[in-house]
Amino acid sequence: MDIDSREAASALSDISDISRRVRQSTIYQLSGLMLIMWGALTFAGYVASYLSPRHAGYGWIAVYVAGIVGTIVISPLNRARSGIRTFDIRMLAAFLLFIAVGMFSSVWLGHFTPRQMGTFWPLYFMMVYTIVGLWVGLAFVAIGLSIIALTLIGYFFVGGAFDLWMAFVNGGGLIVGGLWMRRD
Amino acid sequence: MAELDDIIHQPLRLKIMAALNALPAATPGLEFSRLKKLTGATDGNLGAHIETLAKAGYVAVEKAFVGKRPQTTVTATAAGRGAFARHVATLQEIIAASERQP
Repeated sequence: MDIDSREAASALSDISDISRRVRQSTIYQLSGLMLIMWGALTFAGYVASYLSPRHAGYGWIAVYVAGIVGTIVISPLNRARSGIRTFDIRMLAAFLLFIAVGMFSSVWLGHFTPRQMGTFWPLYFMMVYTIVGLWVGLAFVAIGLSIIALTLIGYFFVGGAFDLWMAFVNGGGLIVGGLWMRRD
Repeated sequence: MAELDDIIHQPLRLKIMAALNALPAATPGLEFSRLKKLTGATDGNLGAHIETLAKAGYVAVEKAFVGKRPQTTVTATAAGRGAFARHVATLQEIIAASERQP
């Protein structure tokens, strides 16, 4: 079979394009599962904060611990299926550093009210999520910016039901985003 | 210069092999539905070309039930990965040869 260099370049371009789409689709499958888990935990965290505001701090510690344990459990499963490592010691260190900076800013520097705390953390998480999306896929950017916008609407315009609003916007948003990423 | 692989060079089969080769060797392959979406092919067309690749020994097809839903998974074999790598190398050689010409 004889082909010229233009046809060869076109074939290589097709190969490169589909390889990129497979990688992105694999990242979406794995990230979608993580998003669904974190969405369910976040939903539970906000509902617990709404029902028992005095114990909200303990509730959120439980959410983060369950999230880290869940991520560690899901990671080997993902690796066996895709060959992609989704969790390692550097990621744990990055997550703990991220939480420490957030705590330092919101508790020590900022002395935020519970409502400001409930707004700050989703904005903080979704900002990083959106920035990562600029490299790994526009779905991350769309989900991140949507949740940031709805969080700000809740902060300024939703009254006493703010935690419930956030349960659906942040928790529900992550679950819907995860399902959307994993759709066929 | 090595010959291009006639079986792989057909455009849809090239896409199928490229998609399967984008995954690490030790992992399960791609589900039919995901492959269909990635290649933009119809069910019948995709099925026919997968069969051609399977007959050549380039892919393995596994059918199973997940709950009540049938699921077909397509995986590149070692022979398929080798043939694809040679095919890509030949394409690169063709381009390199044309660049060397005055």
